[in-house]
Amino acid sequence: MLTAVVRTTGSRVEVDLVAAEEGEAIDPADCEFVETNEAGVEVCLEGPSPVAPELKEFLWGGGAFIVLLIIMRLFLFPRLKAGMDARAEHIRASHEQADAARSSARAEVADYETALAAVQAEANQRIDAARMTLEAERAERLAAANEAIATKRHAAMEQARAARAAVQGDVAAAASDVTARTLELATGTTPDAGRVRSAVEAALVDMEGVRS
Amino acid sequence: MLALDFPPINEVLRWRDLIPGIGFNKISLIVVLAVVISVAVFFAAIRKDPMKPPTGVRNFAEVLVEFIEQQIIMPTVGRSGLGWTPFLLTLFVFIFLCNIPGIIPFLQMPATARLAIPLFLSLVVWLVFVGAGLKHQGVGYFTHLIWPPGVPAGLKPLVGLIELVSTLIVRPFSLTIRLCANLLAGHILLVTFAVLAQELIKSDAIALKPVAILPWVMLVFITAFEVLVAFLQAYIFVILTAVYIGTSVHPEH
Amino acid sequence: MEAFSVLANSQITDEGLKAANAALSSGFAYGLAAIGSAIGIGFLVGKSVEAMARQPEAAGMVRTTMFLGIAFTEALALIGFVVFILAGLG
Repeated sequence: MLTAVVRTTGSRVEVDLVAAEEGEAIDPADCEFVETNEAGVEVCLEGPSPVAPELKEFLWGGGAFIVLLIIMRLFLFPRLKAGMDARAEHIRASHEQADAARSSARAEVADYETALAAVQAEANQRIDAARMTLEAERAERLAAANEAIATKRHAAMEQARAARAAVQGDVAAAASDVTARTLELATGTTPDAGRVRSAVEAALVDMEGVRS
Repeated sequence: MLALDFPPINEVLRWRDLIPGIGFNKISLIVVLAVVISVAVFFAAIRKDPMKPPTGVRNFAEVLVEFIEQQIIMPTVGRSGLGWTPFLLTLFVFIFLCNIPGIIPFLQMPATARLAIPLFLSLVVWLVFVGAGLKHQGVGYFTHLIWPPGVPAGLKPLVGLIELVSTLIVRPFSLTIRLCANLLAGHILLVTFAVLAQELIKSDAIALKPVAILPWVMLVFITAFEVLVAFLQAYIFVILTAVYIGTSVHPEH
Repeated sequence: MEAFSVLANSQITDEGLKAANAALSSGFAYGLAAIGSAIGIGFLVGKSVEAMARQPEAAGMVRTTMFLGIAFTEALALIGFVVFILAGLG
């Protein structure tokens, strides 16, 4: 079996033909990439520098990237972005709707409060009016009652005074009579009735002053 | 005593063709998987009713879009750059899904650790920001680069040369190298500690076997760190792209 | 003594010399490239944390700018790493 050792250094390609014993494989330590060429000869390829760009990887990587870029740019990203924008728009619209609802609710609350205040004011007014009426009526009735009481009391007092005066007159007449008889008995002369009477009355007034 | 046998660098970076003839190797598998996964995720996301509050996969996709818009485009390009969202989103998702296989069992290879993929992405970004500059400023984009306004006349040729080189050459170069080298370094670190742990376990000396716990702990730690790196490098690549587009669209910044 | 005789007897081939030079220089390339970036990133992140602590409301903007700064600062160390791969292993 004939083994060809092919070394590529830059653009130069060296081919060494090495006669090997039958069945002897190429030592992998000496040779990185063992390949069998068309003639059935095992060929040892020494790899290029580890940091050299290789054309096949360049093409595969570039092709894959371009394919991804095209799919992304034309199909995936616009759909994703459209969905995101639609949701953002939806959320914004809902937000505005909520704002509008909130402001209308605020306006309604304000309306309700003004109506409430008006009703309350009216109610207060009516209560005040009712209270005033009540007060006036009560004062009127009180006055009438007081007047009636005063009239009755006056009348009673007049009556009492008249009765007292009558009683006092009776007492004075009785006392004058008693005094005049006593004087008549004592002196034998009939005293002047008027003088006796006034003296008795004066004495009665004195007694009343002492008693009181 | 301990035969530490680090595999040749090409053995942990280059892969035989899975399907010979069309050059379909592990890297191609990873990039195709990245495309399939991202299309599947976004397709599942748009299948859901957008009017309901987003849950699950739709929520995830929308968070990604919001992240690109609010964290990447708004601080760099501003409101006028929101049209770039699909491009930057694709870039971010693709780079992240190419980075993350570095820690996924059986794949265990970040596709972006091969220079070809970051190189292609950087060339696309280069075309995009030069194209954006030409679209928004016309030929003035190049004349502003070569003959920058607002610089003393004597310094103009020097500053112009620096600007030209840094914009048209250093930018794509550093984008490529940054992404590739970060992932490559992470991959080599993982390989190193895995090999160390394995060799210690397999060593003839009994006393050495328990020591394998140390590189193993380190391996776990680096794996966690690689998740962060995978995200961060995708983020940095995309935000730098946004910054470059921003400078093309608004030359005054 | 034995070691020296081994040294004296060993043959230094051109290829071996080249490999030794490559290994040495790749190590230096990465180590030297990392110094500046390490200092830079440390300074940058420290200042960013300070800024975020002073003004937590601006934390988002500071973080974005910090990542951008890290990306630029780190680039040179990464180029050193690539040189290390190219010179040491390539």
